[in-house]
Amino acid sequence: MTEIAERSGPRAVSGGSLWSEVIRKEDWWAIWIGLGLVVVAVALFSGGQNIKWIAIAPQKWSHAGELVGQLQAHGLQYLALLALWSVLFGIAAGALGLRPMRFVSAFVVIFLVALGLYGLGVWDQASRYSLEPPLVALALGLLISNTVGVPGWLEPGLRVEFYIKTGIVLLGASLPLTLIAWAGPVAIVQAAIVSLVTFGVIYLAAVRLGLDRRLAALLGTGGAVCGVSGAIAVGGAVGARREHVSIAISLVVLWAIVMIFVLPLLSRALGLSTGVAGAWIGTSEFADAAGLAAAQAYGGFAGTVPGIHGTADAAVSAFTLMKVIGRDIWIGVWALVLSIVATTRWESTGVRNHAGIGEIWRRFPKFVLGFLAASAIVTWAAQGHSYAEYKHSVIPGVVAPLQALRTWAFTFAFLSIGLTTRVRQLVSIGARPFYAFTLGVAVNVVLGYVLSTQVFDGFWTRLGQ
Amino acid sequence: MASGRASGSESCAGCAHFRRAAGELELMLPGLRSLSSAFASVRSGDGLCARHDRYVAASSACAEFRVGTTLQPA
Repeated sequence: MTEIAERSGPRAVSGGSLWSEVIRKEDWWAIWIGLGLVVVAVALFSGGQNIKWIAIAPQKWSHAGELVGQLQAHGLQYLALLALWSVLFGIAAGALGLRPMRFVSAFVVIFLVALGLYGLGVWDQASRYSLEPPLVALALGLLISNTVGVPGWLEPGLRVEFYIKTGIVLLGASLPLTLIAWAGPVAIVQAAIVSLVTFGVIYLAAVRLGLDRRLAALLGTGGAVCGVSGAIAVGGAVGARREHVSIAISLVVLWAIVMIFVLPLLSRALGLSTGVAGAWIGTSEFADAAGLAAAQAYGGFAGTVPGIHGTADAAVSAFTLMKVIGRDIWIGVWALVLSIVATTRWESTGVRNHAGIGEIWRRFPKFVLGFLAASAIVTWAAQGHSYAEYKHSVIPGVVAPLQALRTWAFTFAFLSIGLTTRVRQLVSIGARPFYAFTLGVAVNVVLGYVLSTQVFDGFWTRLGQ
Repeated sequence: MASGRASGSESCAGCAHFRRAAGELELMLPGLRSLSSAFASVRSGDGLCARHDRYVAASSACAEFRVGTTLQPA
C-alpha cells in the first residue's frame, strides 16, 4: 500500500476557518507560488531586469550533442531552477501536511525526467514522430506505473493538481484581462449548453438504467462539469455512497485518459485550428490536467503540421477559458443545487446535509482567482506600452519567461498523471454506470464539436490569431 | 435519524466515524489524485463516514454521532 506521508496529530486543525483554508488547501498555495513569480517578474521588469536567467528551458536542437551542449552551458541555471521549484513546492508541501524533505527528494526525480521530456519536445524532428511532450509524459508514466510500478519514495512528489493549478495561475500572465473579458462570456454560454445537456443525458440514462440517483448525479457532474473534482464535490454535497464515488472517479479517469489521445488526433485529422481545437477540448475533456495535456499537445502541431492554423498558445488559452471560466467555477452552484435536491426530493440516507449559500464559495476553485489576478497584473504592467513595445519588450521580458515556468509546471503534472493512474487500483465499474457515462461522453463530444466548429467557430478562430 | 440542524459539536466534523485527512482519503479513493486532489478547495471539508460508508460534508449530521477523540486535518 502506498505510504501516507501526511502528518497529523498536534498540527491538526479543525478546518473551516479562512486561515486553515488558506494554509491547508493547494489552491491557495498555487496562487501564492504562481502569483509570487508573476509579481517578481513584473517588478524586475519595471526595474529594467527580468527573470529570464532562472526561467531556463531547452531550446530547439537537431542533434543530441546540441542538447547536451545546452545543458552543460546552462547547468547552473537548471540547478537554480530546480532549487527554486524545490523550495517553493517544498514549503507548500510542508504546509499541506506532507513531509517536505520526502517531497523534495521525489521532486528532484520528477524535475530531471521533466527536463528530458522538455528537451524531447524541442527536438526538430519531434512532431515528425508525434513526440508531443504531454503525450509522451503521460504514456511514459502509464507504462511505468502499470508495469514495473512506482517506488514508494516517489509518491510524495506526484501532485498532479498542485502542479496544474500553479501552471494555470502562471498562464494568466499570458492572457490579457481584456481577452478574458471578451472571450469569457462566449465560453460560459458554450460551456453551459454542453454542461446542462451532458448532465441531463448522463443523469437520465443512469436513472433509466436503475442506478441510484446520487450515483447518477456524480456521474453527471463528473462528465459535465469538472471531472473527478466535480464528482467528489457533489459526492460530499449529496452524501453519496463511498463505492459510488469510486465508480465515478474510475469512469472519469479512464475516459479522460482516452480523450487525451483521441481529441488531439481527431482535431488533427479534421484540420481544426488551434483555437477551435482548444475550445472543443475544453468543452469535451473532463479534467483540467487531462485537457491541458491534450490542448498543449495540439498546440505543438501549430507551425509543424501542415494545415493546422493558429498559434501554439491558442489551444491552451481557448481550453482554459472554456474549462476554467466556462465550467470549473460553477461547481459550487452544482453542489448546492444538487444538495438541496438530494435533501428535499431523494430518499433519505440517514445522514443529513445542511448546505447553504456559503457552499458556493467553500467549493469555489480558488486558483481561478490567481489566474485572473495574474492576468490583471501583467495587463496593468503592459499599460502605456505600444503594441510594438509590448511585442519586443514586455513579451520577452515578462510573458515568455513566465510561459517557460508554466510549461515546466504543466510537464510535472502530465508526468504525474501517468504515474498516479494505476488501472488495477480502479474499482470494478459495472456495466450500467459505464453505459450511462459513455452515452454522455458521446453526446458531449458531438455537441462540443458542433458548437466549437459551427456555432462559435469564427470566435475561437480569431482567438488563435 | 437526525432532524434539524446539528450543532457544531454534533456535526460530522467532530465525529469519531468521520475520516477526512487528505492523504488518507487519497488512499481510500483510488484514482482521486490522478486527476484531482483531496487537498483541493472543491473538496471543502468532506470526508468518509465509516459508520454509513458514505462520502459526506463535514457539516452533515446523523443520529449515530460519536464524539471524536482527535481532530483531523482537513
